[in-house]
Amino acid sequence: MIGVLEVLVGAPALFAVLTLVATRRDDALAVSVALLGAVATALWSLVAWSRSGDAGFGATEVDRSWVAALDLRWHLGWDGISGPLVVMTTVVLCCAVGSLLRQPPSGGGAGRLAALLLLIEAGVLGSFLALDLVLFFAFFEVALVPMWFVIDRWGDATGRHGVELRRKAATRFLVFTVTGSSLMLVGFVLVHAQAGTFDIVALTSSYRPDGPVGLAAAVLVALGLAVKAPLWPLHIWLPDAHATAPTVGSVVLAAVLLKLGTYGFVRFWLPLTDPGQGVLVPVVAGCAVVGIVYAALACLAATDLKRLVAYSSVGHMGFVVLAVCTFTTTGVQAAVFASVAHGLITGLLFFLAGTVKQRYGTGDLRRLRGLYGRLPHLAGVVAFAAMASLGLPGLAGFWGEMLTVRAALSPAPDLPRSTFVVLAVVAALGVILTSAYVLALLRTLLQGPAGAAAPVPTDLDEPGPDAVASEWAVWSPLIALTVLLGVAPGLLLTPVGRAAVALVGQG
Amino acid sequence: MTAVVLCLLGRPVLTAAVVLAVGHRSPHTVRGAAVAGSALCWLLAVVVAGAHLGDAAPLRRVVVETASVGQPLGIVVWVDPLSCVLLLLATTVSLLVQVYSLGYLARDPRYPSYAALVSLFTGAMATVVVADDLWMLLVGWELMGACSYFLISHHWELPEARAGAVKAFLVTRTADLGLLFGILVLGERFGTYRISEILSDLAAAPPMRDALWLPALLLLVAVLGKSAQVPFHTWLPDAMPGPTPISALIHAATMVAAGVFLVARMHPLFLVTPRVLTLLAVLASVTMVLAAAYALVADDLKRVLAWSTVSQLAYMFGALAAGAWSAGVLHLLAHGAFKALLFLGAGAVVHAVGSTSLSRMGGLRTALPHTFAAMTVGFAALAGVVPLVGFFTKDAVIGAAWEEARDGRLLWPWVAWLLVAAMLLTAVLTVAYAMRAWLLAFFGPTSPEHTGRAPHDPPATMRVPLYVLMVPSVLGGVVVLDPAAVLGPGGGADLLHGAEALTTTVLVALTGLAVVLLWRRRGRAVWPAMTWPHLPVDVLVERGLVRPVLRLAQVVRAGERDVVDAYAEGTEASVRGVGRLLRRTQTGRVQSYLLVVVVGAVAVAVLAGSLA
Repeated sequence: MIGVLEVLVGAPALFAVLTLVATRRDDALAVSVALLGAVATALWSLVAWSRSGDAGFGATEVDRSWVAALDLRWHLGWDGISGPLVVMTTVVLCCAVGSLLRQPPSGGGAGRLAALLLLIEAGVLGSFLALDLVLFFAFFEVALVPMWFVIDRWGDATGRHGVELRRKAATRFLVFTVTGSSLMLVGFVLVHAQAGTFDIVALTSSYRPDGPVGLAAAVLVALGLAVKAPLWPLHIWLPDAHATAPTVGSVVLAAVLLKLGTYGFVRFWLPLTDPGQGVLVPVVAGCAVVGIVYAALACLAATDLKRLVAYSSVGHMGFVVLAVCTFTTTGVQAAVFASVAHGLITGLLFFLAGTVKQRYGTGDLRRLRGLYGRLPHLAGVVAFAAMASLGLPGLAGFWGEMLTVRAALSPAPDLPRSTFVVLAVVAALGVILTSAYVLALLRTLLQGPAGAAAPVPTDLDEPGPDAVASEWAVWSPLIALTVLLGVAPGLLLTPVGRAAVALVGQG
Repeated sequence: MTAVVLCLLGRPVLTAAVVLAVGHRSPHTVRGAAVAGSALCWLLAVVVAGAHLGDAAPLRRVVVETASVGQPLGIVVWVDPLSCVLLLLATTVSLLVQVYSLGYLARDPRYPSYAALVSLFTGAMATVVVADDLWMLLVGWELMGACSYFLISHHWELPEARAGAVKAFLVTRTADLGLLFGILVLGERFGTYRISEILSDLAAAPPMRDALWLPALLLLVAVLGKSAQVPFHTWLPDAMPGPTPISALIHAATMVAAGVFLVARMHPLFLVTPRVLTLLAVLASVTMVLAAAYALVADDLKRVLAWSTVSQLAYMFGALAAGAWSAGVLHLLAHGAFKALLFLGAGAVVHAVGSTSLSRMGGLRTALPHTFAAMTVGFAALAGVVPLVGFFTKDAVIGAAWEEARDGRLLWPWVAWLLVAAMLLTAVLTVAYAMRAWLLAFFGPTSPEHTGRAPHDPPATMRVPLYVLMVPSVLGGVVVLDPAAVLGPGGGADLLHGAEALTTTVLVALTGLAVVLLWRRRGRAVWPAMTWPHLPVDVLVERGLVRPVLRLAQVVRAGERDVVDAYAEGTEASVRGVGRLLRRTQTGRVQSYLLVVVVGAVAVAVLAGSLA
């Protein structure tokens, strides 16, 4: 008997194969098949949600032996923490695959690209649902490797040495994340040596990390996830990878793959870490806050639209990690909410950056000017996404940041409160820096007079049509969900709150 | 009634959506939808106000809230007389602005987005005034900031519009951090984010005096930013490149009014923290005189009015600081009426002359009789001429400050006296700058610099709002005689103070006479117009904050380049990278130092905290 969740993980993989088969006949047909798969997965995720119920892992939990010799179990479960991320992933993947239908990548091969995206989706959904440490690791790797192909085959290779740089960005991405996940695996093995199980549900209820081994395990897991999230100063693979990847690649990288790191922090790092032990948690929180400020500064100086969006992700992930480090229910709520909101908003931003780049042939912020005048509709959506990104209350981006600050002001009792109050204040100042770079972006990109800074070549004068219907179709689900979650944060906070209590207890 | 309130909050969003969706396809539909939406909002506000003004019991209803751990967030409305009067003010001004904009922006290609933003702006203000949940209030509060940002940069081709918009948004958003932290601290102290529960807690068990200074101070920071008081006062005059009807909306009914509203709403909190009130009184005293002085010498008609707003807001804060709740609120309402009138009148003048400079106006009395009448009423109300509304409310404010200074319960005595002195001085300055602007614009010879077609009164869509606003500007003073009928039991008794009224009237008359005499003798230049630079606040911010941050950003960028190479390309490259980094340190010692400071501060905090 195959469970609901196994279908959820298996469907994208199956459709990936079907898409590859269809590629032999026709790329357009293959993308249609892939889109069908993505939509079916999204609908099925809603089925899984309705079947899972509210409390705990509910009726859809699957738990059977997998590799008995190594004590590995095939354990999948859906709760208030994984659920929102799963739904967000399926929605973003629908948008990404859908966008290939009308805007195929410049190098051709849209069918294979769509198949790879579905494969990534399968890996990501598996990681979100896995409740066994090694199973999580395995799905994690499944999601990573196809991304290397996406960047290396379809990435941006303009400029001198373009192809080499693209290969370098792809490889750096893979090396960093694989190194990180190996460290994480070592940490998992250490945990198994102490507790005798890889099952995270059992670990959450009974594991108490103690002694140097426990601390070492927590440090290793934190390092592995910090590369993925990414946490300053381990973020250095990110700007190149995000800026080089094709539009759909950037969208999936930022909106979905980063969440593997933050989800790992919530689901696997929290139970494996004792907040009172050493300075590990305050140090991680400190790195997160430095990342917030640092990323905002990098954005202020950025000269490329996609790099700017990429760096902004580092800042937003800083908020998520800071929230996790408080070890409170509010912190967990904040982390999940901010992860989902970031997926929607940054996904939208990367789509928009891709459209701008496609229209003008460049993403160079020193040359792009005056979108309001040339492409008013596109500019309006950019302004909306930018406001969402700076955390305007009433849109999704705000609640995660607000709850993070609230959690940091009253962290778990084992943690040094004064440190976290300072961190909360610095993080809030990071919000101001975020507003500053977003406004600077709007001022030049949207409002700036054409040709004020540099002589504008003729291709920038004729940017092509304003937003077209197929683009609206891709953007509108993200816009709608951003507004919905901004106006009704309770939709997410309520289920996440229940699951968070199970994770860290009341408080 | 809850349904009506929710309609009132939702209607502007719907209007904005419709207007944006129709866009340029059908100009008439857009205009119709914008005005009809505002009119409906106004009707709904009248219905709500009809039920809850005066003694009626306030409406409190939880519409929806999060059902999870911790203090719930939600949409919770609380409508009391204070909400009602502000709803009336906001929706009325907004409706008039929408009607006025039909004429003012008749040929503007960006009308759809403009109308949508005005509508959202009104909705945001309505959210602020009916919110019981502090987070709901924050949502409206910051949405207003975003709307004002987009509206101020309506003419984004102008560099000063772009700069003014960014400044307005950044200054207010920075100050808004005060509100964010203030709400968090209040939630921690009271265990709830509901305003009504916090206030009833305060009433039931008065805490130790000044035990709540921290949240009160944090809220005060946000208020000073929103209402453009010292030291955040510079953004409001710099926001003047926005369309004139928007200035009317921002200055009269939304945005800056929200700051006064928040102090009025949370007044019991401030009353138990006299030290914070004292600070507010000092800042208000400084602001009112300073802003009036700027208004006295500005050459730009809109800047005169903008500085006058800053100065009048300080009056309201002065009244609230002196513990005179109803006087402050009534002056807010009166100011809303006459300042909207003045700005819309100024828009008509600008429409006719094509410039905002006073030196290009003159003798417009005959050419623009309707505008002249409106502006005369507006300036007279601003100056506090008997029996216009400004006279009554200003008298109530000054009287309250005088009583506080004499009987002293809240403020430090010398601060109360400072406040009274500042108010009297400002009353004189107000008459002077109002008279000057009025004389320069409407009397004397036509400006020699004015060329082109003959100026004329605006079309009917722009005239009607002027007539409408003249009514409350002239007759509004009646409310002062019985504030309880409008503001409920908290409104207090008759606010008319005989002695103070006489004093201010004499002052007004003498100052007016002096200005006229000066003007008769010296002609156009009553006193020379000057552009006084802002206080060094802006320079300090620029030198101390903006430039270091930008330099730091460059360091980060360079570091990223170098460090990435260093990490990823093996030893050879890492040597090169370190070399570059070292050179960077030598060429930009200050910048690197700053980066070290940031990283170091966080590290120290981490260490100190974990050792403690």
